[in-house]
Amino acid sequence: MNRRRVLDAACLVALAALALMTWQLFDPRVWPVIIAMSVGQLLGTASLVAYVSVVIADYRAGLRPR
Amino acid sequence: MTFPTAPLAILALGLAALSAAILVSFLALRPPLVRLTKIWLLLGFGVFPIAAAFAGNVQGFEATKERQFCGSCHVMSLHRDDSDNPASNSLAARHARNPMFGSENCYVCHADYGMFGTVVTKAGGLRHVWLYLTEYRSVPVEAAKATIHLREPEKMNDNCMQCHSTKDSLWLAVPDHRAPLEAERAGRLSCASEGCHGFAHPFFRAPPTDARPL
Repeated sequence: MNRRRVLDAACLVALAALALMTWQLFDPRVWPVIIAMSVGQLLGTASLVAYVSVVIADYRAGLRPR
Repeated sequence: MTFPTAPLAILALGLAALSAAILVSFLALRPPLVRLTKIWLLLGFGVFPIAAAFAGNVQGFEATKERQFCGSCHVMSLHRDDSDNPASNSLAARHARNPMFGSENCYVCHADYGMFGTVVTKAGGLRHVWLYLTEYRSVPVEAAKATIHLREPEKMNDNCMQCHSTKDSLWLAVPDHRAPLEAERAGRLSCASEGCHGFAHPFFRAPPTDARPL
């Protein structure tokens, strides 16, 4: 998959994660807090993993003999 | 929904805003994927969101101590309303008017204390969430109040004794305190029972035999 597209998707996932994680600050009830600490952080972690995988792939591509 | 004023919440919001600004800029400007872009993205994907999550989690855990949080499940709304009521003379409401308890009166009276008290209390809270999802979500308040009762009522006196040590001379001078002292300290006789200080919540009576512990 194109690295740029992976990063674009990761950005959107990360923005969704940030929205979920900050929702609990405005509405500190049971479901917002639980969703922030579970789904929000899961999405955030997934986007970070996608970013790291792109950086590693980019680095490895740079090491290959041309 | 209110705008948060706690310092940690504002910090979390600021960090999340910085992260969002970097990510949106990347999507909008589409810069080449060079080293500088990757460093900015590391801030946007990693550093700022992790810091925001950490600050948000601490703020979230603090929020779980608030009465507003406990009362956000409908089966707890009677308890919340009673504590919110300045005219109520229930034990819960009177404690809520004490600044030592205040808006955290549910947590202060029901939390487990001791070395792992916070963890045990939070784990117990997750059991509440599970029971709510699986059993109480559609149960009317009137039906719920007839079945919900304390899971470990014998431990409740321990929480009362966090403040009322049972060792003060004025407290011991009360004959009704002194006579059943061992039973009180062991939790066999509840401070919040009929004939003593009454039920903590006015609409609660002794649990029925088929009551479900929560």
